[in-house]
Amino acid sequence: MSDNQKKVLEMLADKKISVDEAYRLLSALKTEPGAPEGTERPEAPAKPKPKYLRVTVAPGPHHMHDEDAELINVRVPMSLIRSGMKLSSLLPGEAGEKVTEALGEKGINLDMHNMKPEDIDELIAALADLEVNVVNDKEIVKVHVE
Amino acid sequence: MKRPPVLVRVHIQGKEKGFGLWLPLFLLVPLGLALAIAFSPLILIALIVLRRRRLLSRVPGIARTSLRVLLSPRSIKTVLDVFCSTPGLRVEVRNKNEQVYISVI
Repeated sequence: MSDNQKKVLEMLADKKISVDEAYRLLSALKTEPGAPEGTERPEAPAKPKPKYLRVTVAPGPHHMHDEDAELINVRVPMSLIRSGMKLSSLLPGEAGEKVTEALGEKGINLDMHNMKPEDIDELIAALADLEVNVVNDKEIVKVHVE
Repeated sequence: MKRPPVLVRVHIQGKEKGFGLWLPLFLLVPLGLALAIAFSPLILIALIVLRRRRLLSRVPGIARTSLRVLLSPRSIKTVLDVFCSTPGLRVEVRNKNEQVYISVI
């Protein structure tokens, strides 16, 4: 129990504050970010692990009834992305360097050859917050994880 | 341990006709295993001959590298890993008249 919590209880015992006020103060102390160790804090709900990457391409609002309007819906399992990234480690040295160079030219600093499994896991975990929406006159592209 | 895909469902719908197909991959796995066992002595002999006569070094640059990569146990493991990660994959493309649906189960 922290000093602040003790003070609140003392104030309650001295009848300086009501039970409701003490309860509110104690709750506020529990959620306080700078609260000292040992105080309880409500746990943030654990994020569900992303299972699939979904890519959808739908025709734009003005092209919905076009003859060639296409609807594309692709669901890729995250495990396939993880395994697919491991395929890059099979690239022969010279080819791997060329790929890294080409990615660098596009502003992506990714060394495919020195990628560790932890890096791949981190990258996939970061995808959990990914949501891309591209809307133009012709089509609507959505990329998200689920 | 990942399990390999069991079924592949393909559905193609044309303007007038369509068809659906269930490919039982679980039947192909024992077949593949049987073929691998049957051909393994031949593959082993071919590998020994390649190594003894240094035939691989006579293969020109990129083809030699590709062969080395393809024949390495690590690449076989990685390809198997990719294959076993495909369950859950779904692709659907449709327009007004046609539809293609592929699902790996």
